Amino acid sequence: MRDVLLVAIGAVPGAWLRFRLVNHLEPLVPRKHWATFAVNITACFALGLISALEHACGPRPPLGLLLGVGFLGSFSTFSTFSVEVLQAWLAGARRQSLALLLGSVVVGLLAVMLGLWLGA
Amino acid sequence: MTLLPDRRLRFELRELLLVAVGAAPGALLRWQAAVQLAPAVGGEAITNLIVNLLGSFVLGFLAGPIPRRTALVLCLGIGFCGSLTTFSSWMLDVARLLEAAQPGAALTLVAVSLVAGLLCAGLGLLSSRWLFRRR
Repeated sequence: MRDVLLVAIGAVPGAWLRFRLVNHLEPLVPRKHWATFAVNITACFALGLISALEHACGPRPPLGLLLGVGFLGSFSTFSTFSVEVLQAWLAGARRQSLALLLGSVVVGLLAVMLGLWLGA
Repeated sequence: MTLLPDRRLRFELRELLLVAVGAAPGALLRWQAAVQLAPAVGGEAITNLIVNLLGSFVLGFLAGPIPRRTALVLCLGIGFCGSLTTFSSWMLDVARLLEAAQPGAALTLVAVSLVAGLLCAGLGLLSSRWLFRRR
């Protein structure tokens, strides 16, 4: 029961922050999907950092559930990423679509690795 | 007399409530999929893939011409699907495979997620267009 609450308590602000950030960044970036990109990359870096710290300091299950599974899992999103890549492609913005696809994977992976390296 | 006379504030609270109502079960489902299914299917990387594909299908569906769109997108789309699916855990799973000197498995996880993710989103969108086709 405590674990259920930890995940839920992390998840709700994670989703709120993503929702608000994407809406706030939208006027600043050329297309909405770059706001999702920024959210996902930030979450990748933070999850890498948390994962490395857990590895170094010993696992802290409650903190991992709250921040890793709840907050960051909820903050980052795969579904919005895949739907936005598809929508950009269908709208004829094929280079944007490919740039978003490849950029998200490459930069996301680098961000996780940077987090893992900094936390180690 | 209303408790919240400011219409804009009430509107924003309603938005946040809808997102929260979707987000909590989304994250719980992802977490329980990892806890219950991971031993059977070969690890959290696979359960994360499964929830990511499921969420892509549902969000693709919501991107179509559905009725009551705003509320459903807030609750099921931004809340539930956004929370159910995870980009960061996917990337962490890939990084761990690379660390474990399994570049082939890492590449497969990336490729399968991308191709199947786009397919699921497309299938969701198509089925939504087919169901709610405007006459």
